Amino acid sequence: MASTETARRRPLDGVRVIDLTKIVAGPNATRMLATMGAEVIRVEWRDDRALDLLRGVRPLAPGGEADSLNRSGLFNNINAGKYGITLNMNLPQGRDLFKRLVADASVLCENYSPRQMERWELGYEVLRKINPGLIYLQISGMGKSGVYDAYLSVGPTAQALSGLTHMSGFPEPMPPAGWGYSYLDHSTGYYGAILVLAALLRRRRTGLGCYIDLSQTETGIMVSGTATLEAQLTGQPTSRHGNRMQAADWAPHGAYPCRGADEWIAIAIQNDVQWTALAAAIGAPAWTGDARFSSAAGRKANEDELDRLMADAIRNTERYDLMNRLQQRGVPAAAVQKADDRCERDPQLRARGYFVPLPHSEIGIWNVEGFPAKFGKIPVDVGGLPHRGAPMMGEDNDAVYRNLLGLSSEEIATLREEWVI
Amino acid sequence: MSTQALLSSALADTVILECGDEHGEFAGVLLAGLGADVIKLEGKSGSNSRRLGPFTTPDRNPEHSLRFSRYNLGKKSVSLEVDHPAARDVLERLAAHADVIIDSGEALAVARRLKFFRELQKANPRLIVCTFTPFGLDGPYRDLKMTDLTHLALGGVMASCGYDPLADGAYDTPPIAPEMWQAYHIAGEYAVISITAALNYRELTGEGDCIDLSIHEAVSTCTEVAIPTYIYGGAVVRRQTGRHAAESRTRPWLRRTRDGRYVKAFLFWSGREVRVIAEMLNEAGVEHDLDSDGYRELQRRSPSEAQAHFSAMVDKLVASLTAEEVFHRAQAKGLLWASVRYPEENIDDPHFQARGTFQPIAHPELGRALNYPVSVATDGNNRATAFTHGAPRLGEHTRQVLSGAGFSAAEIATLAERGAL
Repeated sequence: MASTETARRRPLDGVRVIDLTKIVAGPNATRMLATMGAEVIRVEWRDDRALDLLRGVRPLAPGGEADSLNRSGLFNNINAGKYGITLNMNLPQGRDLFKRLVADASVLCENYSPRQMERWELGYEVLRKINPGLIYLQISGMGKSGVYDAYLSVGPTAQALSGLTHMSGFPEPMPPAGWGYSYLDHSTGYYGAILVLAALLRRRRTGLGCYIDLSQTETGIMVSGTATLEAQLTGQPTSRHGNRMQAADWAPHGAYPCRGADEWIAIAIQNDVQWTALAAAIGAPAWTGDARFSSAAGRKANEDELDRLMADAIRNTERYDLMNRLQQRGVPAAAVQKADDRCERDPQLRARGYFVPLPHSEIGIWNVEGFPAKFGKIPVDVGGLPHRGAPMMGEDNDAVYRNLLGLSSEEIATLREEWVI
Repeated sequence: MSTQALLSSALADTVILECGDEHGEFAGVLLAGLGADVIKLEGKSGSNSRRLGPFTTPDRNPEHSLRFSRYNLGKKSVSLEVDHPAARDVLERLAAHADVIIDSGEALAVARRLKFFRELQKANPRLIVCTFTPFGLDGPYRDLKMTDLTHLALGGVMASCGYDPLADGAYDTPPIAPEMWQAYHIAGEYAVISITAALNYRELTGEGDCIDLSIHEAVSTCTEVAIPTYIYGGAVVRRQTGRHAAESRTRPWLRRTRDGRYVKAFLFWSGREVRVIAEMLNEAGVEHDLDSDGYRELQRRSPSEAQAHFSAMVDKLVASLTAEEVFHRAQAKGLLWASVRYPEENIDDPHFQARGTFQPIAHPELGRALNYPVSVATDGNNRATAFTHGAPRLGEHTRQVLSGAGFSAAEIATLAERGAL
């Protein structure tokens, strides 16, 4: 496992994380911990009920066996830097091995369906007796306590309930646009990492472990901005505003079509200086001199008309060219970048080394998304301790069961034969 | 339970100095919620967020901005002009006993202050400095002007969010930035991950560090399948109304309810799903044919037509019930559906009340408290993050903080006369 002779200390040196998470929210949390140097051991099993469905999610790396569980691009991205073992928790022998792993771990993270751990008799009250200093992060859609403790959720469920879906898009009668992906699988992972990192600090001072019952829906409520406060103030339900800024007289403020199929630029004018610069950058068409648009309040009051004129004025402009011209004049503007743009046409991401090539034992070297901060001296590596992409199914069985649990080759072989690992 | 045992006190005795613009404020809130003493150095005119709405009073009083109070919960305010020459002495004395400095703003200003903060680190090697800038401190885009909207455009979030294209595949609506401030939420969460990781590192080594956080990179990490879809398959996902962006069109998830609201009701097309939805239709008294030979024959003959028919039946079911009825009845059947709530509808929900998701914070100008979303988790009994007080008035703690740093009343008066306070 991890070398004890690492030349440079990492923030989570000596921290072992047993990772029972699946899909994206939980694995995102443990990805952060792996990035910070924790020894993260993913515990997985092959049968349909236990398998992490993400292992089968397309796109897959080309080639290979059709039924391979090791070729999903999303799985590789989310699980980089971790070790991987197989363990059949449905067997008593498997649960005994699991308890031995937990006994010597710092952190357990899991996001099974509600009550699954209790069904296995592996709830926090059981595990804390084995390891009083354990930090147990349990992630669920609604939260383990409360009225909806048995409710089921995935990212889109939590986004709907929290209010995030409703808040995104144009006003009625248009429906909500919502989020085009599971934003709360990301955010919940971040909060999971934050709470574990804070709990580790507290444990260093007090020796205390803890249980953390993290709710994905509450994460959505937390990032709902000022909406809940404003609604309490006005008594009016939260409404949607498209891409407009309601909190200030910023206009134009939106996404405008450019040359090409579905190419757009976002522009945000915050004051008169930027407005004047924008007008000059697009050739000062006559309408930009209209008295209605001469003040921030006037532009805001006439935003529908302003948006229409803006869209007509720049429709045939190349988006990056316009972005550059506006930025040279100090106007906040940015191309609406799709994934290919970020991978191929974003010089900033390239210069900062955002994409990190990591080896994977079956599919070879692939880029994964990096950590968005550079540290002066702390080594931070999305490849984690093994400095590689995601583990293959059970890739580290021998190392973990031999080195961590002290099992012999014969014992490991028997466990394999008995379908325990 | 002792305060020490609370996760919301994990960062007790940690002193954070926060300066710069309003974009880094969310990081300070999260740290304050974990018990840190967050001292906001906001200058004589106060943070920009004091001038952003919504406001609790019609006069747009900067002391009454809900934007400010949401993003500065639990902090102290010192009216120090950090760029004033006379502020150097104050910063030296504050930093001697501080653990972290967060400096948010455009790269040029932040880099200039960073030179001084590095000097402060020589006097206090345990000091952690986190810069929070649009692109980090290097790279070709370093000095571009950005806002929340333009970050969500350039970082790829908007490209995945919006409305369905027309039948011919062309879009007649723009990409959507899902409500305001999400770029700063994402980057703030990463800042806290970075800072708490650095605090863990300091426990091991006794050394602080510098963290160079890029908002653009933080947003870029947060688009789920978009980047892997391109890297592994060369394809670009396309936005769709209220559901995941995808390479090819998928069936709608949002459905209208009897009370004119929406639910998110997605289908996995399983046999169990057909059975329980047939039960729900029966219970709601809605005619259907899902248990008929005709439907089973359609499933055999044309799975695609059967799916369309099934989806239409789900529309009928949803249209016969209120959004909340759909949510609870579906969850009782094990379906992962939810009502598309307004965020404020969660305040009175017994589940979130039981968990302490919201905390009442006094608003003297209103003569009442408003419920703020403060916590995403519990430790089984208590909120994982909580606040001892609301946002500060401008300069509310200037005297207290400076006196604590050893400044006499006369020295404080001199600083004010010189324009540093």
